[in-house]
Amino acid sequence: MEPAPAKRRKLGHGPEGAEAALESAASTGISRSRAFVLEAEELLDSVRLDHATALDGADALLHRIKEAIEAIKPHEPRPIAEAAAKLEKKHKIKVPFPDPPPPENSNYKVAFEKPAQFNVVGSYVSKTMVRTQKDHAIDMVVVLPEGILQEKDYLDLRYFYKRAYYLAVVASALRKVFDSESTLSFERLNGNPLCPVLAFRPKASKDKDSENPEDKRVLDYRIRIIPCAPDGFFPKNKLHLGAPLVRKSQAEHSDTPPHPTPFYNSTLVAESCFLPYLKVLRKAEKKCAAFKNACMLGRIWLQQRGFGGDISQGGFGHFEWAVLLALLLQGGESKGHAALSASLSSTQLFKALIQFLSVTNFAEEPCVFGPGNGPGKSELASHLESGPILYDSAQQLNIAFKMGPWSAALLHQHAKWTRSLLADSAADQFNPTFILKSDFPSVSFDLFARLKFDRASVEAGADFRGPAWRLGSEVYRILKRALADKEMGERARLIHLQAPACPPWPLAEAPDTQGTSPLEIGVLFDPANMARTVDRGPSAGPSAQEKEKCEEFRRFWGDKAELRRFERDTIRETLIWTSTTPFDLCEEIVRYVIRRHLRIGHLHDEITVYGNSLPDLLSLKPADTALFNVAKKAFGAFERDVRDLDDLPLRVRQIAPICPELRYASVKPPTFGSEKSGPRPLECVISFEASGKWPESLVAIQRTKIAFLSMIGSLLESSKPGEAKTHIGLENSKFETENLAFLDVVYESGTSFRLRIQSDLEESLLERQVKDKTLEQYLRQRATTQLATFRRLFTNLPLHNQYISTCATRFPALSPTIRLVKHWFNAHKLSCHFTEEFIELAVLHVFLSPYPWDAPSSASTGFMRTLLFLSRWDWRSEPLIVDTGGDMPAADRASVGTRLEAWRKIDPNMNHTVLFVATAQEPSGVAWTTLRGEPKPCKVAAARMTSLAKSASRLIREQGVELDCRRLFVPSLKDYDVLIRLNSKAVKSTLKTFATADPDEAESTTQAKFKNLDERTGLAPLPLAQHPADLFLEHLSAAYGGPLVFFRGAVDDHTIGAIWNPQMQRRSFRINLPTSYKPAAEKKRAEDGEEQESDDEADVVEVNREAILAEIARIGAALVDKIEVKGA
Amino acid sequence: MASSPATIGDFSVLPVSIPPLPSFPKNAVHYLYVRRHTPKIPTPTDSRSLFVTNVPVDSTEAHLRALFASLVGAGRFESATFEDESKEAHSQSQSQSLIDVAQPAHAARLLQAHGRKRKREDDEAERAREEAAVRLPSTWTRPLRRSGSTAVVLLADEKSVQQVLKAIGKAHKTKKYPAWPGSDDLPEGKVPPLGPAWLKAHNRLSYPDRQALQASVDAFSALFARREQEAAEIAKRLRNEPDEDGFVTVTRGGRSAPASRTEAEEAKRRMLEKQEKKKEELTNFYRFQLRERKKAEQAELLKRFDEDRRKLEAMREKKGKFVPEA
Repeated sequence: MEPAPAKRRKLGHGPEGAEAALESAASTGISRSRAFVLEAEELLDSVRLDHATALDGADALLHRIKEAIEAIKPHEPRPIAEAAAKLEKKHKIKVPFPDPPPPENSNYKVAFEKPAQFNVVGSYVSKTMVRTQKDHAIDMVVVLPEGILQEKDYLDLRYFYKRAYYLAVVASALRKVFDSESTLSFERLNGNPLCPVLAFRPKASKDKDSENPEDKRVLDYRIRIIPCAPDGFFPKNKLHLGAPLVRKSQAEHSDTPPHPTPFYNSTLVAESCFLPYLKVLRKAEKKCAAFKNACMLGRIWLQQRGFGGDISQGGFGHFEWAVLLALLLQGGESKGHAALSASLSSTQLFKALIQFLSVTNFAEEPCVFGPGNGPGKSELASHLESGPILYDSAQQLNIAFKMGPWSAALLHQHAKWTRSLLADSAADQFNPTFILKSDFPSVSFDLFARLKFDRASVEAGADFRGPAWRLGSEVYRILKRALADKEMGERARLIHLQAPACPPWPLAEAPDTQGTSPLEIGVLFDPANMARTVDRGPSAGPSAQEKEKCEEFRRFWGDKAELRRFERDTIRETLIWTSTTPFDLCEEIVRYVIRRHLRIGHLHDEITVYGNSLPDLLSLKPADTALFNVAKKAFGAFERDVRDLDDLPLRVRQIAPICPELRYASVKPPTFGSEKSGPRPLECVISFEASGKWPESLVAIQRTKIAFLSMIGSLLESSKPGEAKTHIGLENSKFETENLAFLDVVYESGTSFRLRIQSDLEESLLERQVKDKTLEQYLRQRATTQLATFRRLFTNLPLHNQYISTCATRFPALSPTIRLVKHWFNAHKLSCHFTEEFIELAVLHVFLSPYPWDAPSSASTGFMRTLLFLSRWDWRSEPLIVDTGGDMPAADRASVGTRLEAWRKIDPNMNHTVLFVATAQEPSGVAWTTLRGEPKPCKVAAARMTSLAKSASRLIREQGVELDCRRLFVPSLKDYDVLIRLNSKAVKSTLKTFATADPDEAESTTQAKFKNLDERTGLAPLPLAQHPADLFLEHLSAAYGGPLVFFRGAVDDHTIGAIWNPQMQRRSFRINLPTSYKPAAEKKRAEDGEEQESDDEADVVEVNREAILAEIARIGAALVDKIEVKGA
Repeated sequence: MASSPATIGDFSVLPVSIPPLPSFPKNAVHYLYVRRHTPKIPTPTDSRSLFVTNVPVDSTEAHLRALFASLVGAGRFESATFEDESKEAHSQSQSQSLIDVAQPAHAARLLQAHGRKRKREDDEAERAREEAAVRLPSTWTRPLRRSGSTAVVLLADEKSVQQVLKAIGKAHKTKKYPAWPGSDDLPEGKVPPLGPAWLKAHNRLSYPDRQALQASVDAFSALFARREQEAAEIAKRLRNEPDEDGFVTVTRGGRSAPASRTEAEEAKRRMLEKQEKKKEELTNFYRFQLRERKKAEQAELLKRFDEDRRKLEAMREKKGKFVPEA
């Protein structure tokens, strides 16, 4: 910073300004951005290549190549066909002519002369290559001598024919010299079909690799030999975007004016720009110290998002990034003065460029640099049809000429996402920006389709970008019109296309242009709009304008468009879709428009659509939302009924739901009045106005609650005679000071609710006990646990219910994602170890902090991203902070971190706290991860979750869209030592009990003469106090908490897995055994005795596994079908 | 099956063969560890008691009765007390009995210190009756024990203890282990079954008869009201009575009614507000405060910077954090 004495005085006068700056710096989380800078530096250090060792010998090799090329014997001009044939015959090299090849009878002449100039360009010279790049290339340009070119060569591919021939000659010479130590092949420069280049891959480096594969310092690199035109040889004013330069073939067909060839023209301009851009970049490097590092950061950012210079990778790579940055440093957008200061640091430059990319959408408005004498903005805008425009006036080149409108849109979107990440001071900025790979289609896009097409049937078009590109742009235009147009209600936020890349080909062959790789389409939904089943088009009015609009609409949609009358007598063109889910709708529309306009998709296998197998798996239906809403409405009615009771001694303050069914989060949507089981009431809590009448004793409060519940029950029954039936149920409580009872209200309609009463005094009495130092330790401990339970039930759960349901309306994909993730936990038998609230918060975190993407817009992306998150979450050292309101102060976040550190210090073995999940409302971090003083999950279960998520995300990454999602849900039963198979019939039989029938008689009455006429006919079954399967598992866990860890999914999971705790297998005998032990077998003892003499091994006992399993069989009786032991 | 040692420590090992069940068709052997009962605080029945550890989780008195009957014949077994039951009894004896906690929290100390000393003998029966009236019905037909827990078995006489220990030794020699009684070996109707019936019974018992429940709650309220009354009376008495040192105890309820909770909270809120206001008026009032604040903020920034450094250091330790995913 320059000192500014004039301003300094001013600062002294107004301390407010400085103070405000300081304050704002503090509040925007300067520490975060500081951390970002440090991390970015660290990243640069770890990916930077040590050029001296990594590319050892490259310089010498380049010199030898240069000498070899210089030694080629020049020859006189000869007809192109003859020269090419000679090369093929003599050297077995097929000249890589662009398509179409020069006509047989053409009289073009080709010659060979020594190149005008050699140069090495690109990231090798600027040393901005990074270690993690996919492949490392050194670009060597060979400038064609002016002697063999003519000015008119810019027309009709003549230059490219000459260039191809030149390259072939160079290839033949190099092969002769380097045949033994290198492999040569042709490839396209950045996938550009007009520009073949020679790839020179030294074999020696490979050998080195095989000698010591650990030594990664030596890279497997290749040298690309790129012939190019001399700077300024072609008159650039004739190469402007609108010029039709390929006239010959078109002229034959018709007498319409020839089409402009913007891509061809830009390629030509780019051919002569290698050296000028080298200069530009060198200048920027000199001017701005941080330029190189900013380029490396940019390279990593692009690479993690799947961008590259190749046309198939979006056509925006490191080179474009560097040039853009250099142009911005040099002089901003058309105004002339620099947009960026050269004194900025690398991260600042990076952020600035992200900012630039996020605000300029050059697919929709051309972006012009420099004041040059090139065409104006408005003139350029007319060429936007052919692609995005990023125009450098100095070179008169459209830098973005390799990009399609889709890749520009994707880049724009990624820049926007990254910008919002960099503005979010609370989030971890570094990892999503640089570390996470975010180009897996199954994780990024809601719908992914592969379009098989016949390259021969698509005409190549006049612009030489190849049939795939041509088809792609058609598809993009159609899909954009159908899905992403404002007029059509913006169903999709983003449509992305990926054309197949062209692989390198050997010298003796022609490039494989007839590849079968399909065109890939990715669609990102706008979840609010995609679910619409009726599209309204223009209104069919009498005016000419309206008629024309309708005509256009019909032309696009064909038979699908029909006229319909809407409210207020408007008649509109309308589209009615038959599907119901967002995904199916999108698929239907895509298939329809592609078939209609491109005649692709008639055959079934031409379009394959991926991304829907997950919701199918759980049969998530749009109707589920309606079921949830029904439950919500029923709850509303219930609330009204209770509030309307006049004779209650206290006024009702609040009745709050606390169960997942009433927050759109249960795996199965709520259903009522099942035949097979007693009603399962939805849980709620009720609180009353503050009152001094509660007795000052915990025990008495609990009894009063029973009286209160009983009163509510009888009042309800009398106010709704015949409609509502109430039952008072007793909790499974251990102590008299805990909540003892609840009230179940069962409506005639089948809906049922469970009510528990909150008393404020209970909380303060418990608090007093916790703080009371005179109390015995075990009592204080018990009070602490009870207080936690109380807060969870009456404070945290109602709040949690509230914000999950709010978020479920804010994010339409949240509810199905939560249900899928819960299903995954169920499938892997984890859910008995995790609270549902924890799972919901983990999913919510993925929605609220979705970087490097936006919030998921479909269940499958949401699910996959949640798995990725769970696999990455290092819960040993990181808390999960879910900022539900979006306004959690930084200080609170910091204190959550501190609290976790403190816990880990107290309890390094994680016996009491394992996962740490804090929200703004619940900063203690353990409300959802401990239950009754026990960690939930325990360390074993949490580690299992992470390892399962890790293998799932590996599968997602490796298999991509082809992944059969069912595989993610297959539990690996072989991991468990013991499997307890429950008898599903017996479990079902326990679901229904009656108040009158004695349980001992229950078995005999089933043998009554008429099944439908036994004594219970007409009786309503009792509600389920707790699911019997849960109770059974609870008892097992209580009895065998030490030796066995049980795993089970949902209540309808009839296989319980269990593993033996390895720490409890053998021990010396003492009175209070933690489980059933038997005296260690003699033989084993003898063995042990040899190993360790001194131990009093006479008293060694080991876990009596068989006896324990026999006990389980006895407890379960008919409930247990079979107990399977691993290896038995 | 390898033979097991007859004793371990001072315990005799009693192997019990477990009959196979269809769901787990294996002959398992469970081991009970038995010795004479020698508690720290002796009781009159110690000489005819046995201390048993590692009882099966589904043990009931009837099970143990049948087991001992098969060892030494019927008529020797008197009763069994399980670990969880005795614990309950123990904790209740420490004034945690339900009818003892049925009193307002503030009155507990008062009643303890100044309440009338009850006459033990005729109170016992009364207490038991009250206790039964107040207790809520149980929701389980039979409990499960914790795996590996203990029990004390009371036998008919000292001789039976001898016999039992001898019989255990004999079982080792003959390898004829007593069998764990199954449902057929137990007296009909005495031991409720486990499994589905047990769970169903639980659900039924969870919804007790409303009248019975109401009666229990009423009994409790009556008791509680009586205790409250007692406490109030004692408090009233104490208000006017100096103790032996001449001090008058300050107790609840004086001339004016006790302040209500809401009022107290309101007052506290007002006080806090006032403090807050005062504090606010005086911050940034003096120049030095501003300077100090700025200094503190800078220090905070420095601290955070250091923290970041440390975190980075830690991450570097972990490694792999700084390499972009492939």
